[in-house]
Amino acid sequence: MEQESTDAGALLDPLSNPFASLDSLSPDLSSLNDLATRGSWRSILDKVSRSRSLNLLRHPHHHLTYLSFNVLALSKLRRFADASAELESLQDLDSPEYRYESYPKIYPDRSGSMVPFFLRWLHCIVPLRLEQRREGLDRLYRLVDLVREKLKEREANSREESLNVWKRRELFVMNTIIGDHLSHKEFSVCLDLIKDLLSRDCSGLDAVLLSKLGYIQLQVGDLEGAKGAFSRVEGISSEGNSVELKNLVNRNKALIYLVGKDYVSAVREYEVCIERDHMDFVAINNKAICLMYLRDLSDSIKVLENSLERVPMVALNETLVVNLCSMYELAYVNHSEIKKTLSNWIARVAPDDFDSSCTRI
Amino acid sequence: MKLRVKPVKRFPHSEAISVDSGSPLLPLAVSHRRLVGDGKMSTTQASHSLAFRVMRLCRPTLHVDTPLLVDPSDLLVGEDIFDDPLAASQLPRLLSGPGIKPPEDAADLGYRTRFLLHDATDSMGLSGLLLLPQAFGAIYLGETFCSYISINNSSNFEVRDIIIKAEIQTERQRILLLDTSKSSVESIRAGGRYDFIVEHDVKELGAHTLVCTALYNDGDGERKYLPQFFKFIVANPLSVKTKVRVVKDTTFLEACIENHTKTNLYMDQVEFEPAQNWSATKLKADEHHSEMNSAARETFKPPVLIRSGGGIQNYLYQLKSSSQGPEHVKVEGSNVLGKLQITWRTNLGEPGRLQTQQILGAAITRKEIDLQVAEIPATIIFGRSFSIHINLTNLTERELGPFEVSLSPDDSPEERAVVINGLQKMALPKVEAFGSSDFHLKLVATKLGVQRITGISVFDYRERKTYDPLPDMEIFVDLE
Repeated sequence: MEQESTDAGALLDPLSNPFASLDSLSPDLSSLNDLATRGSWRSILDKVSRSRSLNLLRHPHHHLTYLSFNVLALSKLRRFADASAELESLQDLDSPEYRYESYPKIYPDRSGSMVPFFLRWLHCIVPLRLEQRREGLDRLYRLVDLVREKLKEREANSREESLNVWKRRELFVMNTIIGDHLSHKEFSVCLDLIKDLLSRDCSGLDAVLLSKLGYIQLQVGDLEGAKGAFSRVEGISSEGNSVELKNLVNRNKALIYLVGKDYVSAVREYEVCIERDHMDFVAINNKAICLMYLRDLSDSIKVLENSLERVPMVALNETLVVNLCSMYELAYVNHSEIKKTLSNWIARVAPDDFDSSCTRI
Repeated sequence: MKLRVKPVKRFPHSEAISVDSGSPLLPLAVSHRRLVGDGKMSTTQASHSLAFRVMRLCRPTLHVDTPLLVDPSDLLVGEDIFDDPLAASQLPRLLSGPGIKPPEDAADLGYRTRFLLHDATDSMGLSGLLLLPQAFGAIYLGETFCSYISINNSSNFEVRDIIIKAEIQTERQRILLLDTSKSSVESIRAGGRYDFIVEHDVKELGAHTLVCTALYNDGDGERKYLPQFFKFIVANPLSVKTKVRVVKDTTFLEACIENHTKTNLYMDQVEFEPAQNWSATKLKADEHHSEMNSAARETFKPPVLIRSGGGIQNYLYQLKSSSQGPEHVKVEGSNVLGKLQITWRTNLGEPGRLQTQQILGAAITRKEIDLQVAEIPATIIFGRSFSIHINLTNLTERELGPFEVSLSPDDSPEERAVVINGLQKMALPKVEAFGSSDFHLKLVATKLGVQRITGISVFDYRERKTYDPLPDMEIFVDLE
């Protein structure tokens, strides 16, 4: 289409503020976003399908946004073959078809790629989930190269906001790569990659990344290394005082206690976290685990059940449910009843992407 | 190389307490199976009110996820839009505004945490969430077997006077882990539980059985006996190959450790404990240049990890005998160097400890005599007799000899190039302790060019033994 036309939605005149609201970015984007935050991925699939068939997507970038939501929804629903097919329908993401300057009438004075970055990332992830690890990893490493190219360009032109966005994207992709190596237990590679990231100056994220370095060292058994990483985190966070960082420090301490089998002290640390932030579900889950190692199976079950009741929007997590079900299996000779109760409750409240196989019923 | 378990201080058993489960009554049907590895439950004639539930409690794991989390600026807009100054100024506000990230106390947060990327590192999938062991897994010599045991009353009646026992049975022994006979549990109410945690350092290979028994009075007052058996197999985690080499006065011990387990092993400590008259130093390779970056040094000392399923790691120790002087008496029979103590860790620091058998050094063949060529003519002519001056030193503290010097029988098909000229055997008198004796040996060269003087050996009449021959010597045989 050559000329923009206003439809019943909230498309503002591009000469005034085109970034006033989500819906001015793409039609009904606020609705899509809302569905995503509720985990209503099936509804998103419906909406995308309807919008396409009713021809509501006028501009090239609308199509890309909707396609991205579609691939994301399919992936969330673990329909990776379908997600892959959707991705296959695209041209090469670097083709001129996806650049603003190819449509000067629609995007006057704008140049660059209109591809949502997340779509590129999904393009790497989907093969990984389809057990095509080599392809997926290759794509991820190529994506890192692309991001670094973009960073170089922007450093030269000193566009700060854009630069920050690409820096964050670099971290995001690198961490995805580390995550893949981690899930294949390639620990030495992970440690090298994290070391590399930390050696650059990314001060704001140091505490979290350092903590994760510590977790990997713990997984491997390098207790001294982990203690070193955690004490560096403590050094950083004493300068800031966000609840989040404080809780991170306490949770790290708890892990060290746990490793030393001092479960009582670990529980105490987690309770400090929960007192500060009643939605710290990592602290809640881990506290329950510690209670179990203290032979207090009943209380560990109570902690998890309570969290599901009080703060389901953070506690309804597959790992937490697996832990709870393991506890049920230990506590009850006939545990299928109680697991069924849990499973029914989950079916009522859980988002579409919740993997209910975790109840092992 | 056989491995043994190093005796380790046993952990104290936790005091078992009665547990009120506070949960609703469960149906009477008792499911007989909570398997631990290859656990089997004994078939009992009577139906029991009680049942054991067992779960191996190795350390929990830090769960690794594969999350799909999004930063709004990566999904809602094109990737290059921030190059547009207007977008750069407007979008950050829009994308972090209440439409996307509502305040925490908002009534309806939805499942935002399953959608939004909170921190760029979230994509690693390592949130710090712990996961309980999901399977029995493998268990190895040197590890600690830890188990949660819960005895459950799934009947509608209280049971009384319960005596609970837990034992580990192996081929060789029965080890008691828990026994409440001195203070029997008074009662377990209907639907109640009694929990305990047991630990046992695994010191034997092969089949092990965790035997849990309960003797109790059921609801009818009948005294019942419930045994339950849970089997597991203990395997060998490592094999150690050693090599001993002696270079002059120093003994070197090479140890190669191979990992037979299914996980990577973090080698916490591999120490050589020398025997009484030895001292040991571990030799390390030079550090890799990338590790020289001091800022990263302490946190990033790369861990010594032996890969699972066949990975190896080599260690080198330098050993010195601590006895002084050259009068070291040869010890007949064994020459014990010491043993290796190995400590490793796996997931979340789960430890294992083993030590090797005594490692033996090379048998000491301390030289008793030393044979050296003191002088040899500058020119040696083919076919012409020449004389070499040999020195024999007695390195022992006793008189040796008398000796006989001769050419040892020739094994090679070729004739020796240099042979003794004249009497083929030469007699030498006794040499006193630490003394030496000089003699001349007449030789003749039967071939031209570069040749070797080889095979000149010394026989001791009294001890009736032949010592190592004179070291080979190269000569050049001229024509004229």
